[in-house]
This record gives sequence, C-alpha cells and structure tokens, in this order.
Amino acid sequence: MSTLAASAAQRTIRRGLVITGLGLAAMAGVYVLALCFTPIERFQGLPQKIFYVHVPAAWSALLAFSLVGIASALYLWLRDPRLDWFAESCAEAGLVFSLVMLTTGPLWGKPIWGTYWTWDARLTFTLLLFFLFLGYRALRGAMHDPGDRARYSAVVGIMGLVLVPFVHLTVYLFNTLHPKPIVLKPDSPSLPWEMLRTLLVSLAGFTVLLFGYVTTHYGLARRAQEQGEEGGHGD
Amino acid sequence: MGKTLRIALAVAGKDLRVELRSRTAFVSAVTLAALILLIFNFARDTAVVSREALVPSVLWVTLAFVGVTVLNRSFTMERENGALDGLLLAPVSRSAVFLGKYLANLAFVVVVELVTVLLVVLFFGADLRGTLGALLATVFLASAGFVAVGTVFAAMTARTRFAELMLPLLLLPFLVPPVIAGVQVTTRLLAGRPVSEIAGWLQILGLYDVVFFTLCLLVFPSLMDE
Amino acid sequence: MAIDPNANAGFMIAAYVVTAVILLGYGASLWFRSRKPPSRG
Repeated sequence: MSTLAASAAQRTIRRGLVITGLGLAAMAGVYVLALCFTPIERFQGLPQKIFYVHVPAAWSALLAFSLVGIASALYLWLRDPRLDWFAESCAEAGLVFSLVMLTTGPLWGKPIWGTYWTWDARLTFTLLLFFLFLGYRALRGAMHDPGDRARYSAVVGIMGLVLVPFVHLTVYLFNTLHPKPIVLKPDSPSLPWEMLRTLLVSLAGFTVLLFGYVTTHYGLARRAQEQGEEGGHGD
Repeated sequence: MGKTLRIALAVAGKDLRVELRSRTAFVSAVTLAALILLIFNFARDTAVVSREALVPSVLWVTLAFVGVTVLNRSFTMERENGALDGLLLAPVSRSAVFLGKYLANLAFVVVVELVTVLLVVLFFGADLRGTLGALLATVFLASAGFVAVGTVFAAMTARTRFAELMLPLLLLPFLVPPVIAGVQVTTRLLAGRPVSEIAGWLQILGLYDVVFFTLCLLVFPSLMDE
Repeated sequence: MAIDPNANAGFMIAAYVVTAVILLGYGASLWFRSRKPPSRG
C-alpha cells in the first residue's frame, strides 16, 4: 500500500530525470548550433553568442517565477500541498536560471559595454528576482511545520509576483531618465533567420530543462512527504 | 464593517499605548536615524560631494532602513509574551487584527519619518523653501504600501529564527519601487520643478499603496490559521 | 567598423562554460538527491 504510493513518487522522479536529461542533451545541441552553425554578428563579434543562452535563461527564470506566484495564489485558495511542492520546485529552478542570467550577463556586458555590471533594466530586474527567490528559499528553510511553511511561502510568492510589474515599471523609468553611454546595442531590432532559429531552439531547450527540473524536484518533495508519513515521525 | 474598524482601532490603540508608556522604541528609532545620517556624513569626500547633493539619496536610504527596523518590533512583543495566540483565539476577525497592527505600525513609522526628514534638513542643509509639506506628503504616501507589506512579513518572520535578518531580506525588494519614486520626487521638489513633473511618480506610489494594502488585507488571515 | 570576429572569444567561452556547469551541476544534484535514502529532518 505504501510501496505503491512511494513508487508513484519514484516514477515522477524518474520521469523528471529523463526529461532533464533530454533538456541537457538539447542544450548540448544548442551549443553546437550556436557555436558552429550560426553566423557571427558583425558588430559585437563572438560575445554576441552569449545572447543564445542569456535570453532563454531570462525567459525561463521569469516563467518559473510567475509559476511560483500562480501556484502560491492557488495554494492559498485550495490548500492542496501538491501546489506547494510545485511552487517550491519552480522556485528552485528559477534560482538556477537567474544564476545563469546573472553570470552570463556580466560576461556579455564586459566586452560590449566595457563594464561587468550596469544597472540597466534587465540586469537589475534579474538581480531583484534572484533576491526574491533567495528570500523565498530562506523563509522556507527557517520554517519546520509543513503547513506553516507552505502558507507563509505562498504569501511571499504572491506578493513577489505582484511586486514584479512595479519594479519593472520604476526601474525602466529610472533608466530612461539616465541614459547610459551605450556603444553598442545588444539586441538588434530584427534578427536574421539563422540567429532567430538558434534562439528559438535554445528557448525550447531551456523550457524542456525547466520542465525536467520542476518534475524531478516535485517528485522528490512528494517522496519526502510520503516517507515522512510512512516513518510515522513528523517533520 | 463598523465592528471591524472598532476592533482595529482597539488593537492599534493598545499597541500605541504600550509604545507611549515606555517610549524606548521611539527614542531608539530616532537615534538610529540620526546615527545613520551621521555615518552618511562621514561616508563622503567633502571636497567632491556637497551635503545638499546627497539629500534625496540619504533621506530615502535612511527611511528604508529605519522603516524596516521599526517594523521588526511590531510583532516582537507578541512573540516574547506568547500573546499572539491570545490575540488569535479572541473571536475577532483576522482582518481587524491586520488593520489594527497596520494602523499602529503606520502611525509609528510616520512619526519616526517626520523626525528623520527634519534631521536630514538639519544635518544636510536641505533648502526646502516651502516644499516641506509636499515632501512629507510624499514620504507618507510612500510609506502606506510598504508598511502593509512589512506588517505581513513581520507577522511571518516573528515566528522564525533569525527574524531580524529575515525581515529585511524579504522586505527590502519591496522597497525598490517606493524608493525609486521617492528619490525622483524629492530631487524634483528640491530643484523647484513644477508639480506636473512629479504627478506620474505620485500616481505610481498611490497605485502601489492601494494594490499592496488590499493584497495584504486579503492574505493576512491565512497566515494566522492553525 | 567591423570588429575582428574572434576578439573577446574568452568571454563567450566563459559564459558558455559557466552556463553548462550550472545547468549540469543542478541536474546532477537532483540526480544525487534521488539516489540518497531518505533522511529528512
């Protein structure tokens, strides 16, 4: 009886790992595509290729964050612990992708803008998202009762999601008031087909990876909860 | 509705009366503000940076940190005395408790902010020239929303370890929009710019307040479930 | 003014390497966690 339940979690974990593996394989393909089969941009040279990992990572981080917010809202309404596991999983994945953004961003910025960090809208926004993810995680770490933890982090999740448009707006306005001496503009207005294709493939790869990460972590959370019940000792 | 308000005012009144009796928290908060300003003064190269130029930045950074520190105490009383459970066992609506806590926090924060603004004027030679009223109004407008968020977070973190660290960690990101808007408005007020230039920022502050106050009012009850 | 296309290759390589490390690293940590016998607490 409990073995059946345990194996449901195990199956989710295994499925998640398979999807993650597929995602990573897709990323390897994207690397080859971006590095060998995509033309070099004329004005930025090789560093422009960072675009193919930086932008999809941003998209995935933002998607993950929105999912945390939505799952949090649903949890407060429905109180289904599975929504809490899902939110926690998305938060962790989001943290990973924002870390990618925050490392590739400066590495792209240095050759193009001459400086590792600028307080431009996108980087600032990502940094804030990163801190919100960290705060969410820190709060969860500090709480031991699963019910309290789920409810409290759900509140942070919703508040964070509502905060996002305000930060986006105010940071954008802040930046337009103080134009930076940008020598080159990293996003070209219209992408040639090969570049667009690579970007889209990378986007797909990142999305698969997000799905894989979230599924695996969800399975792990489910398994931990089931084993907690089985063992008879509370958290 | 009337009952909720009455309960809220009772909760707020109790909090504020406790504060008035000891006044320690208030004095400490104001001293903290003064000390931060002191450090800011020394944290500049006097030959290069005039103190007037720093006024908007110094004001809002100080307000942010003092505000967070002040909010930290809003539930410590209950935490230390185990009174939070008593408050929740009482047959009153959770929203009323939130409203009461919020009003008490807002009152406290606003008074501390008033003193902080005056201290900044004093220490940094800000020439307010008739804009003091507008500046204070902006500061209060910026506080209304963030105090709501702070009240919710303070209630949450009061039950965790490392509450003093957890609250700033969670709350400071929420200060970004009010601080950005606040500094923009302050800079323009000090430069004597027309109101039309700051109207947009004030609208953002107002929207932030309405949105977050409503959201906090809605989510606070779920924090207090058992 | 076209830049020498191979200039600054180091930044690109660094970015791609760091990304791979992060993504693989997290995947690996998930895998290890799935293997470990449960010991939550």
